[in-house]
Amino acid sequence: MKPETKQTSQDSTSEIAILGFDPGAHLAAILDASDDAIISRDLNGTIVGWDGSAAQMFGYAANEIVGRPIFVLIPQELQGEEDEILRKLRAGDRIDHHETILKKKNGDRFSVSVTISPIRNATGAIVGASEAARDISARAKDDESRFQLAAIVDSADDAIVSKDLNGIVRTWNHGAVRMFGYTTEEMVGQSILRLIPDDLHYEEDEILRKLRAGDRVDHYNTVRMTKNGEPFEVSVTISPIRDASGKVIGASKIARDISDRRRMERLLIQSEKLAATGRMAAAIAHEINNPLESLINLIFLAKKNSPPGGKAHAHLQTAEQEVERIAHIARQTLGYYRDTGLPTEVHLHALIENVLTVYRAKLLASDIAVDTRFNDIQKISVSRGELLQVFSNIITNAIDAMHGGGTLNITTRKIAGPSGDGIQTVIRDSGVGIRREYLEKIFEPFFTTKGNLGTGIGLWIARQLAERRGGQISVASSTENGCSGTSVTIFVPFVAPAPRPSSQNH
Amino acid sequence: MATASVFVTGDHAPIVELPCTEVFHAVAAQRDRPTVLLVDDEILIVDTLTEILEGAGFSVLPAYDGRTALEKVARCGPDYLLSDVLMPKMNGVELAIAIRKMYPSTRIMLFSGQAGISDILLDGLRQGFEFELIAKPIHPLIVIEHLRGE
Repeated sequence: MKPETKQTSQDSTSEIAILGFDPGAHLAAILDASDDAIISRDLNGTIVGWDGSAAQMFGYAANEIVGRPIFVLIPQELQGEEDEILRKLRAGDRIDHHETILKKKNGDRFSVSVTISPIRNATGAIVGASEAARDISARAKDDESRFQLAAIVDSADDAIVSKDLNGIVRTWNHGAVRMFGYTTEEMVGQSILRLIPDDLHYEEDEILRKLRAGDRVDHYNTVRMTKNGEPFEVSVTISPIRDASGKVIGASKIARDISDRRRMERLLIQSEKLAATGRMAAAIAHEINNPLESLINLIFLAKKNSPPGGKAHAHLQTAEQEVERIAHIARQTLGYYRDTGLPTEVHLHALIENVLTVYRAKLLASDIAVDTRFNDIQKISVSRGELLQVFSNIITNAIDAMHGGGTLNITTRKIAGPSGDGIQTVIRDSGVGIRREYLEKIFEPFFTTKGNLGTGIGLWIARQLAERRGGQISVASSTENGCSGTSVTIFVPFVAPAPRPSSQNH
Repeated sequence: MATASVFVTGDHAPIVELPCTEVFHAVAAQRDRPTVLLVDDEILIVDTLTEILEGAGFSVLPAYDGRTALEKVARCGPDYLLSDVLMPKMNGVELAIAIRKMYPSTRIMLFSGQAGISDILLDGLRQGFEFELIAKPIHPLIVIEHLRGE
């Protein structure tokens, strides 16, 4: 029997081996090889048996501890437990997996799970107890780190979710609550498909297939849906969860909301595209403006040399107008002003008057009255060409909006802007106005409300130039009968932003 | 005289081989025509604009590069310089600076169809020279207006 064996097995394994194949000794060897400390004591609590594992676990050699009370191993505050244990033992009860704390020789405390069984003599009377103690401090530490892990998981910004192989959600952290809007109660036990837009449900099959094969899905960018049905972009990493035997039983899924990142990426791509467009425009400008100049001159000469009133003269007249259309587009778009304008100190109203002079004939012909109120006393350092381009594009739009005549109101004044003091120019027309659904698009390149007559880049260029100078440009419009019109506000701060090394110019 | 060819509009070939610009100036002055030194490496622009300006009452000294242009006005200054900016050998700003130094009363206008010439203009600016710049394409009537200072 185990207890008896224990009582005689305080010696080292090698000594036992000499005893030959005595079954008791054999048992003792097994016990000694066990990681559990086997201690036996009598009913007074005196230690009578102490095996090698016990020596290793507690640090006492057998001869140091045998004969001493078991209390040596029990921390002061837990010694009360011993009375209860003795009471149970005397009643012949066994104590299974009692988790407590014991003390080593060096005073260190550690967690143990003890199983205590009564030892009976040949007559069946209880004479003592054997105590198998298992060091569970590692497990306790495990529990602790598990606890910490859980806390980390819960405090993570990412949604961390686990699911079984049928795609049923098993755990749902706070990050998931925040990201998807479902509470833990709403999601645990539900299919993960709830988060996946209908047209992407096939993804889940693919993911599950990979998981079953034990594969991982890394940083997969896709779209998921919030409780409100709003789609958003996420990057998900899904790893299989295995049980102790290594079998895949589910998956952990970490999802990160990347909508903001993607938005930034898209903006970046967009601005890269625009920069490329700008470079292309500059290159084309070179190749187009010179031949255009020659063409205009040639047509002018041909017209001069053809008899007025003749057919050729009329054709040339038309050709001149058509070429002027191209020239207009080239001037407006092909970046002439963008790169040649050196900043100079000017009065904004002088620039505006300059533009108005250019369009005087057109304004008169369209029956448009011009009402200006200039209050910009201070000069401002701007690239003349760029600002001319800005005002010219906006004033052209205003004229185009007032087919049946109207009033063009232009005011300038000094204001305190978001980026310091500057001059605000408001250009208001009483034209047809811009429909609400178009308003947010009007600064996009190639968007036009003028059909074939528009290039769709006037306002886009205007905004590029204004923003490059640190300014802002905004548009308000009404299409309501009787009070329709559009008002464009341009703010240019006195202080220009620090020049950035531009990749666009060369 | 060989210089007669200068005044024949449409007859371009002999223009570059003007035998004596002094004669040109003398004749121009006699006829009370303001002289324009017109420079562009785009031959067609020079040729067409020469014809147009001649027709508008100017005497034009055409040149296809800055060096030649300078040679043409070695002894007498033109009333106007109208020059492209980006040209081989000598750019418009260098030419304009040379002319300004030689003939301070010559009115100078640069025209360009190119983006990316701000560096050249800045070079001039650093040396203290700023020139009027007009954008190509530009209608010839506007060029004439500019020359007349309107």
